[in-house]
Amino acid sequence: MVDQLILASECDVANEVICAPADVKELFELPTIFHIGELAITRTILLIFLAAFIVLAILYFGLRKGSVVPSKFQAVVESLVQFVRKDVAEDIIGPDGVKYAPYLTAMFLFLLVGNLFEVTPLVNFPITSRMAIPAFLAIVTYVIFVFVGFKKNGFRYLTDIIWPKSVPIGLRWLVGVIELFSTFILRPLTLAVRLFANLVAGHLMLTLLLGSGAIFIWNFADAGAKSLVGVAWFAFGLGIYLFEIVVAVLQAYIFTLLSAVYIQSSVHPEH
Amino acid sequence: MLYALSTVLVLAAEEAEETSNVGLVLPDPYELVAGIIAFAIVFFFVWKWAFPAIDKMLEDRQRAIKGQMEDAEATKAEAHSLLDDYRKQLADAKGEAAGIINEARSAAEAMKVDIVAKAQTEAEHITTKARQDAATERDRALASARVEVANLSIDLAERVVGENLDRSVQLGLVERYLADLDRMTE
Repeated sequence: MVDQLILASECDVANEVICAPADVKELFELPTIFHIGELAITRTILLIFLAAFIVLAILYFGLRKGSVVPSKFQAVVESLVQFVRKDVAEDIIGPDGVKYAPYLTAMFLFLLVGNLFEVTPLVNFPITSRMAIPAFLAIVTYVIFVFVGFKKNGFRYLTDIIWPKSVPIGLRWLVGVIELFSTFILRPLTLAVRLFANLVAGHLMLTLLLGSGAIFIWNFADAGAKSLVGVAWFAFGLGIYLFEIVVAVLQAYIFTLLSAVYIQSSVHPEH
Repeated sequence: MLYALSTVLVLAAEEAEETSNVGLVLPDPYELVAGIIAFAIVFFFVWKWAFPAIDKMLEDRQRAIKGQMEDAEATKAEAHSLLDDYRKQLADAKGEAAGIINEARSAAEAMKVDIVAKAQTEAEHITTKARQDAATERDRALASARVEVANLSIDLAERVVGENLDRSVQLGLVERYLADLDRMTE
């Protein structure tokens, strides 16, 4: 919404082919809504709390009654929670997975809602297209799997990574270096960047395509025949919109799944 | 389309030169704090409320299903024992019925034999009596005929002789004659 206003105010429909803001930051750094003392509360911060609130509301209203014979809504919420608990936490990590299930479930639901904000009408902004949440959750996962690795295996956790016994001796140092780099540096980085970049790209595409489409069609008096371009942008944007719904769900799942896989690799490093 | 996308890229590249967008890929401190607080709330809610709630519900469900299955099992066992009872009763009833029928049949048979025997006796009795009656009747007729013949013979003889004969003497004579006749015919 805000993005489209920015685009509309800056767009020169007579000369441009697509409406883009002068500075791409404008699409991601949302305006301040109000101040609490010195603290500026931006729209993003409000959306972050809104996402948390929505997750709480879904869980609360879905599980409040706890009926033995569930309502449809209860069945959906139940299967969502059980999906992360059984199919992700327990199936991937093993019996120990129960311990990490609350973290993984909270992560999945929070990311799911945060991602779906991208395609939620009137919100239209994924909070995960800001680095804060992906980075924070990636760091938490990182801390968990490194901590668990050392706790379960002691110093052997590190030596098994640097000097992997299952690899032919000539290659061990090479695989060791790759593994060390991959486990301690690439894992958290890729985990965060994958989510962040996907949602940035999605938000950018949707804003530019749907925004440009709407503006060109709306200003057909100034744009003339170029309004047809707007129709094409809008149609393309709608296609991407459907695609982004899948991306939003998939990225929340992938982030959760990989977190579980990383934790599993620390619980049972031999696999 | 490609032209448009390349325009976007060019625009982005130009912007990158103009202003630094490094801030876009680094976490904003305020958002980070907000994210940590928001996620912590979600996590604690899931951990302390949602999971216990779902566990309790699953246990209740498990118990309910187990209870229902046990009930069903008990009902089934009861139904089986009832069925066995009924079958047994049915078999007993059939046996009893067969017994009754056999008894009735033999009773009827006995009665039949009895009736036939009685009828035969009766018939024999009737036949014997009839035979006796017939014999008596014949004797009586014979006697009567004898008297008649004697009288006729005397009447005839009187007419031939033309005088009254001593009836008692003549009767004795005829009697004797008839008795001789009887002896000869026997």
